[in-house]
Amino acid sequence: MYVTEAGYSYGEVWTTPRLLRIEPDGGLTTIVTGAHAPWNGVDFHEGAFYIAAGGEAGEGRILRIGMDGSITPIVEGLPSLGDHHTNGPAISPDGWLYFGQGTATNSGVVGIDNFEFGWMYRHPDFHDVPCADITLAGKNYTTLNPLTEDPDDRMVTGAYVPFGTPTEEGRVIPGEVPCGGAVMRVPLAGGTPEVVAWGFRNPFGLAWSPDGRLYITENGADVRGSRPVFGTGDLLWLVSPGTWYGWPDFFAGRPLTDTGWFKPPNEPAPGFLLAEHPNAPPEPTALLGVHSSSNGLDFSRSPGFGYTGEAFIAQFGDMAPGVGKVLAPVGFKVVRVDVENGTIQDFAVNQGESNGPASRVGGGGLERPISVRFDPSGTALYVVDFGVMTIGEQGPEPQPGTGVLWRITRTAGGIP
Amino acid sequence: MKFSRSLTPALLVFGLLAACGPTRRGPPFVAEREITDPQLVLGQRTFDTYCQQCHPGGASGLGPAINNKPLPGWLIRYQVRNGIGVMPAFSSRQISGEELDATVEYLKYLRGLGS
Repeated sequence: MYVTEAGYSYGEVWTTPRLLRIEPDGGLTTIVTGAHAPWNGVDFHEGAFYIAAGGEAGEGRILRIGMDGSITPIVEGLPSLGDHHTNGPAISPDGWLYFGQGTATNSGVVGIDNFEFGWMYRHPDFHDVPCADITLAGKNYTTLNPLTEDPDDRMVTGAYVPFGTPTEEGRVIPGEVPCGGAVMRVPLAGGTPEVVAWGFRNPFGLAWSPDGRLYITENGADVRGSRPVFGTGDLLWLVSPGTWYGWPDFFAGRPLTDTGWFKPPNEPAPGFLLAEHPNAPPEPTALLGVHSSSNGLDFSRSPGFGYTGEAFIAQFGDMAPGVGKVLAPVGFKVVRVDVENGTIQDFAVNQGESNGPASRVGGGGLERPISVRFDPSGTALYVVDFGVMTIGEQGPEPQPGTGVLWRITRTAGGIP
Repeated sequence: MKFSRSLTPALLVFGLLAACGPTRRGPPFVAEREITDPQLVLGQRTFDTYCQQCHPGGASGLGPAINNKPLPGWLIRYQVRNGIGVMPAFSSRQISGEELDATVEYLKYLRGLGS
C-alpha cells in the first residue's frame, strides 16, 4: 500500500512531500521525497508511480517515479500557484494519464482572499488562465491593496487578469494550454497536455468507472473574495470530452445571474464575467453538500464488497467560516453515490448524535477523509484521512501527526 | 423572498420544535435502507437533486435540519414554492407537483427513521 503525503496544507504549513509505503505492521517507509508541494495523489501503472505534484511551491507537475526511486517530470509548468492545484492523476483503461488542474481563484477574480491564502505575496501577478479564448463582460471589482500599507490605497481588478488590472467589456483573454479549471491528459511517456474538458473550479478527484467512464469531483465556489458565490455545493461530474462545464459563470448548469440561488446575504449576485459562453453547461451526476469538500473518489467493482458501480467519495469536511457559514458541520465522512440516479447515502460516518470530525464529536473515528481507493481485489476500501484540521481565527490549523489510513471491508452477512 | 406575516408565528412554532431528536439517518444509526416504493424513489431523487446540498440527508448543513421536525406537508410545499430567507424558491418547472408530493413523503419517511 502506497500513499502520498502532500507536504503542504492550507494554513500554509510546509513539510516535505513524499511517497510512502505502508508496511504490514503499519510502519512507514519513505520511497522518495520531492518538491512542488502539495503532492495531491498517486496512481500506479506497469511498474511506475505517477504523482500529481500540486505546485503551490513551484509550478505544478506530473511525476513518474520508477521502482528504483528515480523521479522524472512528464509534465511541467502547470498553473498551480494559487488557491487550487494539480490533482489526480488517474490512468485510463487505454493508457493515458488524466489529471485535474484547479483554478487560481475562487470565482475568477484575484482579491483579498487570495492574499489570505498566502500565495499572492509570492506571486502577485498570478491569475486564472482559460483553456480557450474568452471574451469578458468587463466587470471590475475595487478592493484594498494589501501590498501597501496605505489604508486608502485601492485596486481595481477584472477577471482572468493580475490583481490591480481592470478590464473592459469585449476584451479577449487568449486561451492557453496548460490552463486552469480543466481536466487534461498526456501520454504516459509525457508530452504536451491535451485539454479534455474545462470550466471546472477545482477538479480534485478523478476516477474511471467500471464501464470505462471518467468521473470527477469538483469543489464548488465559496462565499469569499471579490465575487463571493453563495449556496454552491460540490459536484460529481461525468466528463464529456470537449465540453465546457460552466465556471466561473454557472454552477451545476444554473447561471450565476440567478439572484434566488447564488446571491450572498448583503452582497450582489455574482453575475456573469464572460460576455459569451462556449456551450450550455451540462448538469451534474450528483450534487453534494455545500462546503463538504468532496474530494477523492473511487468506484466499487466487486460484489464481494457490494454497491458495484457506485462512486465512493471522501468528504474532507467544511472549513467554515472562511469558506462561508454553515449551521452544522458538513462532510467529514465517506458517502456513496448511485451514478445512475444521483442519489447519495452515507457510507462511513462517525458515531454520535451529530455529524462532525471525531475530534469534535468524540469517540474516535474519521477526522477529514481526503481520498479513497479500493484494493485490486475490490474487497477492501482504503480511506486516507488527513487528520485534524481545526479552523481558528487566522484560518486553517492542521495538526501534524494525526493522519490515518483506514481499511474498510465487508463483514460476514452485514454492512462493511 | 415572499411569505405572509400570518405564517411567521407558524414558522416560529415549528422552529421552537427544533429540539426534536438527532438527525442521523444513515447506517449505522438506522438500518441501511433500500427504497423500492416508487413514490419514495421519486422523492429521494428529487430531494437529492434540489435539497441535499443544503440539507444533507435532511440534516443540518448550510440549511437547518428538516428530517427531525413535524413539518406539515402544506408548509413544506409552501416553503419550496416560495422560499424563505436565503432558501430559493423552486417553481413547478423545476420541481413538478408530483415530484413535490413525493419529496414531502420522502421527508416524512426520513423523519420516521428517527422515531
